[in-house]
Formats: sequence, C-alpha cells, structure tokens
Amino acid sequence: MEKRESLWEKCLRKGISRRTFIKGCTGLCALMGVSVDRLAEVVEAAEAKPLPVVIWIHGHECTGCDESFIRSAAPLASDLVLSQIDLEYDHLLSAACGEPFEAHLKATMAANKGNYILAVEGATCTKDNGVYCMSGGHTFSSLLKEAAAGAMAVIAYGTCAAYGGIQAAKPNPTGSSGIGAFCGATPVVNVPGCPPIPEVMTGVVMHVALFGSLPPLDGEGRPKQFYGNRIHDTCYRRPFFDAAMFADSYDDAGAKAGWCLYKLGCRGPETYNSCGNIRWFEGLSYPIQSGAACIGCANANFWDDGVGSFSERLPKYGKLGNADKIGTAVGAAAVVGVAAHAAASVVQKGKREAIEAAESGKKESR
Amino acid sequence: MKEVKRKEFYVFSPFLRVFHWIMVVSIVVLFCTGVIIATPLQSVNLEPTYSVTYMDLVRDIHFVVAFIFAASFILRVYGFVINKGDRLFPHFWKGYFYRQTIEVALHYMFLKYEHSSFLRNPLARASYAMLYVLVAVEFITGFAMYFLANPDSIWGGISAWIIMVCGGEMMAHLIHHYVAWGIILFAIGHLYMVIRAEFMEGESEVSAMFSGYKFLIHNPKDATDSDLSGEKHLI
Ligand code: SF4
Repeated sequence: MEKRESLWEKCLRKGISRRTFIKGCTGLCALMGVSVDRLAEVVEAAEAKPLPVVIWIHGHECTGCDESFIRSAAPLASDLVLSQIDLEYDHLLSAACGEPFEAHLKATMAANKGNYILAVEGATCTKDNGVYCMSGGHTFSSLLKEAAAGAMAVIAYGTCAAYGGIQAAKPNPTGSSGIGAFCGATPVVNVPGCPPIPEVMTGVVMHVALFGSLPPLDGEGRPKQFYGNRIHDTCYRRPFFDAAMFADSYDDAGAKAGWCLYKLGCRGPETYNSCGNIRWFEGLSYPIQSGAACIGCANANFWDDGVGSFSERLPKYGKLGNADKIGTAVGAAAVVGVAAHAAASVVQKGKREAIEAAESGKKESR
Repeated sequence: MKEVKRKEFYVFSPFLRVFHWIMVVSIVVLFCTGVIIATPLQSVNLEPTYSVTYMDLVRDIHFVVAFIFAASFILRVYGFVINKGDRLFPHFWKGYFYRQTIEVALHYMFLKYEHSSFLRNPLARASYAMLYVLVAVEFITGFAMYFLANPDSIWGGISAWIIMVCGGEMMAHLIHHYVAWGIILFAIGHLYMVIRAEFMEGESEVSAMFSGYKFLIHNPKDATDSDLSGEKHLI
C-alpha cells in the first residue's frame, strides 16, 4: 500500500496556503470541542499524522445516523470523507459492492491492523447466534468482533450501537444490544442519539483521527464535551419552566407562545446532549425549538423508559390514573382505615377494662 | 381515676429527638415541593415580564431541605453512638423477634386484648428500619439526579453509576417519586400508631419524642435496650 498522506501534505499537494491550513486547524479545535490553547497540538498532528483509515459498518438500524452525518455543515461531511479521513469501507456510502468490496475490507483490516478507526452504526443481534442481522454472508456480530479486535478505537454511533436502540425495545425479538460487549479490549466511544447531531459525529471522529486518542469520556463512555449538559439546562425555554409557564397540550395558547413543554412529557431534564447549544443543521433548530417535546433519544432505554408514553411524566395505570392519583386514593383509604381501627380499638379497650374490673371485683369479694 | 404506678425509662437522646423533628419537617416540605416539581401548578402570570420564577424557587427549597435533612443525620449517628436507647434495632436474627411480632400483630388485629410491654415493639422496630431504607433510596436517587447537573464532578461520576443501576434517569425519577409516596403512607400509619399508644395504652410514645423518657406500667421485655431504667422515679 502506498504511503498515506497527512492533512498538511495534502494541502501542499493541492497548493493550499499555510495560512488557510492554520485557519482550518483552528476551526477543527472548535469542532472537536477542545480549547484553542491546544492549537499547536492540532497543527502538529495535522502535519505529521497520516490521515486515519476509517471502516464504517452497519448493524440493526435505520441508517438515520448516516443521514445525519452527511448533513454535517462544519466540517462539511464531503470534506471530511474526501480529505480529512480515509474512509475505506462503508456499507451505505460506498459505491462498490459484492465480493471485491468484501475482499477490500479484509485487505484494509489486515494492512492497518491496530491503526484504523472502526465506526459502528446499529445494534448487534445476539439471539440465535446473531442470524437476524447478516452482512456479506456472515453474522454482523462476527464481523463486528473481528473488525473491533484489530481497531485502534471503536466509535459507537447512535443509540442503537451504544445501547441497543429501537429494536431492543420490549419484547426485543432479536436480542439486540449495544456493541460494547463485542469490542473486547478496544476502547469504545459512545455517541448516542437517534440520530446523533451531525457536528457531534464528525467532531468525535476528527478527535480520534487527529490525536489518535479518545476524547475525555463521562461515566457512560460519552464524550464529555458534547454530552456534559442536560438539554433542560441549555434549553432556551428554561425561563418558562422556571416561571411555571407550561403548554398543557400541543394546540393551546402556551404551545403557540413557545412555553415550556415539561407537562407534555419533555425528557429534556433527563437527557444529556448538545441539542440546546449546537442545535441541528447549522444551528437551524432542534426538536424543542420546533415545538415538540424532547423524547430523550440519546438515553439508554429511551424506548422503554418506564413511563410508557412520551407525552406523560408519570406512567398511567389504565383507569386508575397515575401514581399521584393512586397515592392520594391509597392515602385516603389509609386514613379511613386508621379511623376505623381507632374506633375498634376503643371498643376493645372498653371490653378489656370490663373484664379486668370483673376479675378484680371477684378477687375482692373472695 | 385509679392510681397507676409507672416506671421511668430514659430512651431517646436529645440528638435523636432533634433529628426526628428535623426529619418530620423535611419530609413534609420535601414531599410537597416534590409533588409540585413533578406536576407543576400553572403559573397565574400570563405576562412573562412580571412572572415570578416560582418553579425555580420550589426546586431550590427542595434541594436545600434535602441537604439539611442529609446533614441532620450527623445528630442521628452521634446519638446512636453515645446512647443505647437510640439503637433500638429490630432483632431479625433472634427467634423471639418473630414470636413477639406475631403477638403484637395479633393485638393490632383485635385477636388479643393486649400485647406485652416494650420500650419499642418489634413491629415498630421493623417499620422504622423500613423507613430508613426508603429514606436511603430517596437520598441515593435524589442526589444522583442532583449531582448529574454536572457530570464532570466526582459526584457526577458516582451518580452516573447509580443511574445505570436504576435503568435510566427517567426511571430514577420514577423510583424517587414512588418511594416518596411510600414514605407518606408510612407517616399516616406511624402518626396513628403513636397517638394510639400514647393516649390509649398510656405508653408515652409521643411524649418520649419530646422528653426522651418513657413511663411504663409493666417492665418492658426489652428493658435492657435502655441505659438508665429507673425504679427511682415512681409516680
Ligand atoms: S422544554 Fe423541556 S428541556 Fe426545555 S425547559 Fe421545558 S422541560 Fe426543560
């Protein structure tokens, strides 16, 4: 295989000026969510590091993450794919197919063992040896295991790859699960979201590509710079929440005025993502801004989060209503029960004293 | 009124008593603010300029009281260390615990006229242990949700783990909410039982939480669980 170029070498070959290159590197800092203090590191890496090979595979999913990825505006996904990473294999974006394509995958993995980045979209299927998700004649789980074993790092794109996704919803007939358990000792970055924000996807792969290391991760393995805040804490409707101005239904005056969607089951207070600050599609909007309550799509189990409805805050139990109604009823029943018990106790005490009096009376007369 | 002789037992240290009343106030405040946070009342302000940020206030009260409640456990622990009467465990590991529990339960079901005398009967001991478990669940889930406002902190790291055990943050909210109702149901039963014991059985259940002393007619079966039992104060 020919020697792979670094970003700087590519600029030289294309006649791009040093000034433009440095400007590009500064832009990269912002995209990756690192401080400009580290510009020198970024420049060094961009000068010396050959563009990393990326292998991108797809399991149980809807390819929505790819749809999101190709809409990344900064960096433009086309720039990223064509000039900043070396995307060798992608189920969805590659033009090639069939045997030569699979052979290319094998060759790429062998030639770059220990150096390529594996991007995974979609859950693995674990039931019945994984036969419900096949790729190139093999089960996806075996492909994943093999590819992950030789990778430098694995990026789990989307809630499917990170936690199992929609196909893992009850009753989960295919036994779908997140990919973590299949990656052995290779480090994994979780980039959940259904789909993740385009700029978050490109930012994470750029970070791994440039620095050759994972970005700082939180307790759930998500990059802190993108998943370090609750949507609720960055939401532009938060002042309405604090002032208790809520939309009660999607067609009332509150909804029209853009008030907080908390009562419509908004999962912003439970969800960690950058929707509130990066927003989507060049900062155009995000679900809450367009008037829909957040469904917490970046959360593990958001499909079965215990409430049973995206538009409720507390689960409803048929005609009984929610926990507060049931709790009030049980509480009232307890008060009535206690009162009855008190009455019965008085009666019992009366009887006991009568018996005691009779006994002591007997003793005295004896 | 016939004259009854009573013996005096020193049970609760002042630390435990103060803790108890902090707990009472905290639980009431935490429950009320918590219900409002889960199902907020619509603000009457329709004009944003003049609206009060009352949700913010309610949340702040909830958090501050939670911290006070948590801090008051220092008193509980100190009392626990220095005073025997603050250590009225349910003796799950002893056979007599179950026999006595059945005896007390039969009395409460009106199948027996009375039960033997206790400083604290085994049923009550078990229910208080249960309350501490419920409170612990509230603390764990509540602080986990609170500290995850900044997942970067050390506490955030620990909290992430708790949220995973709960099965997601929404689940943690639900557990927190349901267990809160459990505590309120406990409180109804507790309130009734102590009032009944105080005014019907003359077991000074309520007054002891003010004075620290219980005045009992019979020698309680668990008298050795208290430090100072005094024959000296005969009333
Ligand atoms: S709309 Fe959702 S995220 Fe925004 S303030 Fe209201 S509850 Fe929070």
